[in-house]
Amino acid sequence: MKRLTVALFLAAFALSAVPRSAPAQTADSLIAKYIQASGGMARMQALQTLRRSGKFTGGGGFEAVVVQENKRPNSVREEFSIQGMTGINAYDGKNGWKIEPWQGKRDPEALGEEEMHGILDDADFDGPLVNYQTKGNKVEYQGVEQIEGSDAYKLKVTRPNGDVSFYYLDTEYYVPIRIDTQRMIRGAPQEFETSLGDYKQVNGVYLPFSSESGPKGSSSTDRGKITYDKIEANVLLDDQRFVRPGMRP
Amino acid sequence: MNVLLLFLLAQQPAPAVKVDSETVSGLGARNIGSAAMSGRIAALDAVHEGARLTIYVGAASGGVWKSTNGGTTFKPVFDKQPVQSIGAVTIDPKNPKVIWVGSGESWMRNSVSIGDGIYRSDDGGENWTNLGLKNSEHIVKILVDPTETNTVYVCVPGKLWSDSDERGVYKTTDGGKTWTKILKGGNVSTGCSMLAMDHAHPQTLYAGMWDFRRRGWTFRSGGDSATAPSASGVFKSTDGGATWAELTGSGLPPKPWGRVAVAVAPSKPEVVYAFIEAVPPLNALYRSNDAGKTWQMLDRSQNMIWRPFYFANLIVDPRDPERVYKVDGGLIVSTDGGKSFSGIGGGAHGDFHDVWVDPNDTDHLITGDDGGLWFSYDAGNKWVKNENLPVSQFYHVSVDMERPYNVYGGLQDNSSWVGPSEFPGGITNHQWENMYGGDGFWMFADPTDPDYLYAEAQGGAVGRVNRRTHESRNIQPLPRYQEKKLRFNWNTPIHISATQKGTVYIGAQVLFRSKDFGQTWERISPDLTTNDPQKQKQEQSGGITVDNSAAEMHTTIYAIAESPRDGQVIWAGTDDGNLQVTRDGGKTWTNVVANIAGLPKNAWVSSVEPGHFGTGTIYATFDLHTFGDMRPYAYKSSDFGATWVPLVAPDSPVRGYAHVIKEDPVNGNLLYLGTELGLWVSVDGGKQWAHYKGGDLPAVAVRDLAIQPRDHDLVIATHGRGIWIVDDITPLRALTPEVLASPVAFLAGRPTAQRLQSGGGWANGDAMFVGANPPNDAVITYYQRRRHIFGDMKLEVYDANGKLLGTMPTSKRRGLNRVTWSMRLAGPKVPPAASAAFGAAFGPRVLPGTYTIKMTKDTATYTTQLVLVPDPRATHTQAERQAALDLALKMQGTLGDMTFAVERMNGVRQALDERAGKLPASDAVAKRLRAASAAVDVLRKKIVATKEGGMITGEERLRENLTDLYSSIVFYDGGPTQTQIERADAIARELVDVQREFDAWTTRELAGLNAALRSKKLEPIAVITRQQWEAAGQ
Repeated sequence: MKRLTVALFLAAFALSAVPRSAPAQTADSLIAKYIQASGGMARMQALQTLRRSGKFTGGGGFEAVVVQENKRPNSVREEFSIQGMTGINAYDGKNGWKIEPWQGKRDPEALGEEEMHGILDDADFDGPLVNYQTKGNKVEYQGVEQIEGSDAYKLKVTRPNGDVSFYYLDTEYYVPIRIDTQRMIRGAPQEFETSLGDYKQVNGVYLPFSSESGPKGSSSTDRGKITYDKIEANVLLDDQRFVRPGMRP
Repeated sequence: MNVLLLFLLAQQPAPAVKVDSETVSGLGARNIGSAAMSGRIAALDAVHEGARLTIYVGAASGGVWKSTNGGTTFKPVFDKQPVQSIGAVTIDPKNPKVIWVGSGESWMRNSVSIGDGIYRSDDGGENWTNLGLKNSEHIVKILVDPTETNTVYVCVPGKLWSDSDERGVYKTTDGGKTWTKILKGGNVSTGCSMLAMDHAHPQTLYAGMWDFRRRGWTFRSGGDSATAPSASGVFKSTDGGATWAELTGSGLPPKPWGRVAVAVAPSKPEVVYAFIEAVPPLNALYRSNDAGKTWQMLDRSQNMIWRPFYFANLIVDPRDPERVYKVDGGLIVSTDGGKSFSGIGGGAHGDFHDVWVDPNDTDHLITGDDGGLWFSYDAGNKWVKNENLPVSQFYHVSVDMERPYNVYGGLQDNSSWVGPSEFPGGITNHQWENMYGGDGFWMFADPTDPDYLYAEAQGGAVGRVNRRTHESRNIQPLPRYQEKKLRFNWNTPIHISATQKGTVYIGAQVLFRSKDFGQTWERISPDLTTNDPQKQKQEQSGGITVDNSAAEMHTTIYAIAESPRDGQVIWAGTDDGNLQVTRDGGKTWTNVVANIAGLPKNAWVSSVEPGHFGTGTIYATFDLHTFGDMRPYAYKSSDFGATWVPLVAPDSPVRGYAHVIKEDPVNGNLLYLGTELGLWVSVDGGKQWAHYKGGDLPAVAVRDLAIQPRDHDLVIATHGRGIWIVDDITPLRALTPEVLASPVAFLAGRPTAQRLQSGGGWANGDAMFVGANPPNDAVITYYQRRRHIFGDMKLEVYDANGKLLGTMPTSKRRGLNRVTWSMRLAGPKVPPAASAAFGAAFGPRVLPGTYTIKMTKDTATYTTQLVLVPDPRATHTQAERQAALDLALKMQGTLGDMTFAVERMNGVRQALDERAGKLPASDAVAKRLRAASAAVDVLRKKIVATKEGGMITGEERLRENLTDLYSSIVFYDGGPTQTQIERADAIARELVDVQREFDAWTTRELAGLNAALRSKKLEPIAVITRQQWEAAGQ
């Protein structure tokens, strides 16, 4: 049944796909199509929390259990577990913190500059394209580019902190297939790229269940891959989960 | 409705599948450099952005590189553009994010590449727009009006090899939207060779105009001879180029001139310097102190006047009008206004082309030469080498059969080098070894003696080199009595016989063969060239300044290849358009070039590739760029050259003049074509060509290709970006039309060798290029007709018994995809403790054998076999490997037992603490519970380290002992030592001892504790069983 749903979705989009000779795209029209393709704004906004659970695969066969919990408006908690130990990066909308227990220290500490840039991206519940104006993001459409073998619409997103992401939307289905990010850290650019796939519906919204990330230009073996087994929507997530232990929400 | 649509879709025939760049590029490619020798830098500019220095470097044939940290690291920013040759780089003086690049280097040596116009980036190099001058081919200088930065002047020498109108000085006043030619040369071979601006009065411009032309056999800077008329000159405008006046003031040398360089002293703009290639002895530096009215002849030392076509560039210190730099074979500087110069090239490579002087600290210099980029912090007294620019310019490449194999190649002005195809820790600059000298070209391992190799310098100076001692013996064939000079090309072909070990060929105008390492040479052909005397006047080449460096030597053999099927069949192509074949080992020769319909006359035969599947099969590429024709020409014959078919159709996407074609040695339909503008692959014998961009290989000149026959790697020699390797091209051989039409197909690769697990390298800092290794993991290749976007897609690995060993994420792209598998089983359970045991976060390697890969894509499944073999270098027996695996699995079992033991104890401790917490602290039962918990914890601490705090506690318990031992077993493929085996047993026994202590404790204590709990109406405590623990998902 699920397969049929996906197939119907593909068929519907294949037939309604805008030909390449269509009038010029704009950032707003592409974002609108992306939202529509994902399930529509109403379904997106109906998601209040998300818990993504799955596996991290690194180089040489390294695997870890990962969980990412998001709660509106912009809280996130990311767990990374091996050998009964769990590392945490989290953000409660105001403060970012972490626990890195790997060498025998389990105290929560503040996230560093690089980590804060990253977790702010992850805390953005719908991603930077949806309601980008209210988030202070600027989005520019930069044309069609080939990326990983496919044509993609390239959207440049500039966040209020100056970080830039390039979102590549598949020209047929309008969902992001790749995100390239440039963060300015202590005045120097750090560049990352993420490939997305395995989109499946969660409460009527298509979300990517797999991603592959690494520094720009890194080979596939050097990238971290995350595959989610399940993404649960609207699970109860207490605000306290996102707050640095010892602090109040 | 939707079901109907689905039905309709299913009825439509599958559309023809295009084989484009993206179809094939998913195989990737890795750049192994090197930056040890780096390559020619043509232009550079830099700007302080805040306290930091941003540098843009224009490589002669390797794109634009940007550093935002003063040169510690660089990244290529021009790689998506269709050309990689750079002539000019200029940063907007008002906006450091606006960068102008003139494509097409203008240091007009024989091997110079071409550009396609002027580019601008408005975002610091992230995106570029080609703004025109597309037929200029070469641009040498871009000047931005500092007061009105939409006004830009471009100095265009124009085409080197042919007449053209698109040359001279161009101007835009709208940021590049429109261009006006504001200064035209006196004829169709005269363009702008240098442009200078008075920055205080930016309407004032000085232009050096240059009459030049290169042909395959000669070059002129100026007219056809030292005294022939030339349109070169120096011109001045004071109205932004609206009008120009030629400077003829007193003190300037009489015409004719060759190349002209001109520079204005920024701090005193009435001081103007000009290097003028006048007829000797008046070729010299000239200086005007009155903005060009009168001139004085100054220095004419060697490095002022040497090879003007290659070095005509003057740089005046931004603060001191008396300090002026002149680039040349050496870098020279004057501190007395040009009267005298001193050499400051020091430890740099030499053959300098540009200098940037830091306006904030004029002791700080950056220069680019034929060996890369260099930094000085003491005004050029000493230089620091940049180690991070892999813009090396290979001409040719070969490989040997070592494990791992080595890569051999010669480079423009950078000798001949050997480097490994992989190295533990990465291929650093230090792994590459220089073996010869001069300019380097063909280079081969001696197949008969691993201690020797063949290398050559320009003009056929071939040597046999001992690779360990570096002793070399010149074995070049020499003229006979009364014989004129043998004509060896700049890039003289050497060929190693594939059929007769020890046979070597080298070509002059005749073909030589040696079977005794160059001790004797047999002439096995007559003069195979046109022997046109008009193309043999190199002693007159150069124009104003004679330049006879072997670069123009012509009417020579340029390509040699023996058939891999028959050593009597030898092909020789010449630079003047002959393609000759012998079928009797050189007794008789036939020139077959006239049989190639449509091929213009006198084309350079740039490569010959005899086929692997038919003795009469020959592929050849032809290069006409020295006639101004930049199109690719490639042909195939199956009948020894009697009839030919073109391989590049007029509407083909292939761009750039052709350097090399290779037929795949396994699949004759698979062809590789290297041109000046990239690598192209055909899977259908040349009907369709796809631009190969795997690994982000840019549109750089691909001068040669080699296929390593054992490992099936494609090794790419680029002239500007070093050596690239496409690991295991086996999947390309399987790209049949049926596969291309299928939605998903696995493509078999070579058997996967389980590489020795070895480490290496060291901290190099960030300023060192490190070439990538192939993955240590097994590579699984598959093709997808479309990108996978929706639904699950995963790969699973099963052993021969059908047991699932692991699951891997997949790559989703259209075309070829590669996914890696670590070849490891899952890691062990490890009990929680104070610190993570990362060495035990990995499973042991599986044994060599055949495994099944299963892809699940939505609900469809596909399977293939993966064959793992031992690293051929490994000496471990199967029994040793099995012993290591058995021990690792046994230790995994012990670690599982240990995890259970700790969790059992932790369950009791938590229960005791939880119950105690429900009682008043002073309650006797509570105290008893806490004491019991502490007693159990004592046992737990015999198993795991528990001291926390982020320090090196040095605390080792059974867990730490065992995980350390485990990691030493799983990262070595051979058998464990007896000590290791015994130690694993000892730890296991010690664990049993602790478990027994705990069992004894529960027998002794638990009943009493549960009675006490019941007395307090608290739930009794049970110790979980193994079954319960495992049922709970452990």
